[in-house]
Amino acid sequence: MLKKNLYSMFINKSEDGPIKRSVLIFNYILIIGIGVGILLFGFNKLDYNLRWDSVYKYKDNLFDGFITTIIISFLSLIFSTILGLFFGLASRSWFTPLKVLSRVYVEIIRGTPLLVQILIFFYVIANAIGLNNRFVAGVVIMALFSGAYIAEIIRAGIESVSATQRETAKAIGLTKNQTYRYIILPQVITRVLPPLAGQFASLVKDSSLLSIISISEFTMAAREVNANTFSTLESYIPLAIGYLLLTIPISILTQRLERKYKYET
Amino acid sequence: MKLELDSLTKQFDSHVVLNNVSIKVETFRSLVLIGPSGGGKTTLLRILAGLEKPEHGKVYINDKKIIYNEQFLGEYRKGIGMVYQAYNLFPHLTAIENITLPLIKVHNIEPKLALEQAKELLNRFNLYEHSHKKPVALSGGQQQRIAICRAVAIKPAYLLLDEPTSALDPEYTSEVLDLIYELREEGMDLVLVTHEMGFAKEAADMVMFIDNGGIVAAGNPENVLTNPTDPRIQGFLSKVLKHH
Repeated sequence: MLKKNLYSMFINKSEDGPIKRSVLIFNYILIIGIGVGILLFGFNKLDYNLRWDSVYKYKDNLFDGFITTIIISFLSLIFSTILGLFFGLASRSWFTPLKVLSRVYVEIIRGTPLLVQILIFFYVIANAIGLNNRFVAGVVIMALFSGAYIAEIIRAGIESVSATQRETAKAIGLTKNQTYRYIILPQVITRVLPPLAGQFASLVKDSSLLSIISISEFTMAAREVNANTFSTLESYIPLAIGYLLLTIPISILTQRLERKYKYET
Repeated sequence: MKLELDSLTKQFDSHVVLNNVSIKVETFRSLVLIGPSGGGKTTLLRILAGLEKPEHGKVYINDKKIIYNEQFLGEYRKGIGMVYQAYNLFPHLTAIENITLPLIKVHNIEPKLALEQAKELLNRFNLYEHSHKKPVALSGGQQQRIAICRAVAIKPAYLLLDEPTSALDPEYTSEVLDLIYELREEGMDLVLVTHEMGFAKEAADMVMFIDNGGIVAAGNPENVLTNPTDPRIQGFLSKVLKHH
């Protein structure tokens, strides 16, 4: 009896079948417990005294940075969705320069490190056009960066609506615009929502690189705290937790969306 | 319904699917195209539907010439009903929305009126209870019957059906064939590609046997399908009817 119970706590052979809530919670506690254990062991070996009090003084700075990160991510998400939608559609345009522009944009952004993009945009392009506001520059950079990924998500979404559906639309007499409006886009939107939510999670984390151009977002705040207190771990551990607080809800949302729209296809 | 093909040729790259096909048939209500797979019958149907453009030749339906440019075809397609092997309902729309979409957006019918017409159709073919289900929640037979409703809702000049029962489980075949038969009885003109020989005999007043890019035989079903003399038809029928 005990053996059987123990077995059921670990083994689930019905591949897609639901796992009992209690079993799931048990496993989460187990895995997180092991993770914390390893960390504690590491600290023990390090012989390092965590001094939270010195960092605690800077909690307002960290909080402000946290809020700035949320705002930057959110604004970037809106603009990158607009960019992504435009370039996603442009990649299927009959106007060849637009198609090529879309291709080049996507390949360059996706093929180069964000770090380099931030530096080039900030010190070369923003400087040249007289854009001095770091915050605005940060939003523009993140929107451009994320927009390329969203363009690919949108393009794939459009292409996932099968050729037979396009033909059927043509056969019943819908115009090209009507086909996009009533057939393709409604399906694309539901299909791209999950990857879009995932992209938002990446955006939140990737925005940490903006600290290299001294935008006072979350990571920058942690760096400043570290510089003032020399308490490296105490500065960066809250950073990790802060990002998780943002990304885990998004991840849960993504999974919900995936489940919700699964039946559509 | 009348149909005239004048030296019709269609090829995909170097593969000739229809080779210089000419025929003139008059006064039929239902034309059934039969023949082996890859013989060209579906391509012919798609040319009649304005979904493929022939390389050469002319097509006249009911004495009207089909002009194969997008401008003409765009208008032409609005006036005919097309039914596919794989039903091709739009997966994000409910059954009734699939029917009303072309009525409202293509034929500019008031949404309220379109809804009424769609309900009436669904009711008549015992599909009313499925009005608000999405295609994924319907059986193949139900989906195909709804696809046929969508095609006839626009009151088309004629109905073109491309193997409407080939993708169905056998248990659903008869409900779809019954519906097609009913439409025919009501006077709907139709051109149908099918492998259902029994149905062809029963419902068609004209049969064309198409193989190898050409029309091997055409005429009333009795003549073409009963005691055929052409070895290609004999061979095909013996294969199709083997297990019947």
